[in-house]
Amino acid sequence: MLLARVEGNVVATRKHPSLEGWRLVICQPIDGTGQAEGVPQVAIDAHGAGLHERVIISSDGMAARKAVGDDRSPARWLIVGIVDENS
Amino acid sequence: MRLGTVIGRVTLSVTVPSLAGARWLIVSPFTRDHFQNGSEPPPGLSKDPSLVVYDDMGGGVGQTIGFIEGREAACPFAGPTPVDATNAALIDEINYTPLKS
Repeated sequence: MLLARVEGNVVATRKHPSLEGWRLVICQPIDGTGQAEGVPQVAIDAHGAGLHERVIISSDGMAARKAVGDDRSPARWLIVGIVDENS
Repeated sequence: MRLGTVIGRVTLSVTVPSLAGARWLIVSPFTRDHFQNGSEPPPGLSKDPSLVVYDDMGGGVGQTIGFIEGREAACPFAGPTPVDATNAALIDEINYTPLKS
């Protein structure tokens, strides 16, 4: 799991059927102080994370497939929670 | 999923049986410094190495796509398939607002 900041969202009409109806948000992995670390990833979001909100993203594909309800889905990253504070 | 611009295509004459007839795209992945905002991809290539992506969505050169990497890239296939990256979405528009630090 990675600490990340929401930095945008993506609009895609043609996508894998399992991603239909899901919010796709751009998550920039960050360190504890908020500095960007690594490349932005697009995650599926069930929690409604807002712009520049800090979140935890997980790369657990099995959990993502469960969340979208499709065993053949290529979904990988999902937002598991919205961060209140980190110290 | 990562995002990137399609910069070319690959055609294979000899493949493993499970990938016969597949379409392949060469994709330049976006980095934090080289990212699309809006509907037009940024000019030029990003610093990150380009990669080959399996495509069953019909992506073309100049388009922006979202591709899956890792073990999940092979999930849409019925049997074991040697695939590292799969096209999962044709991107219409990106709203990208990086936080300046």
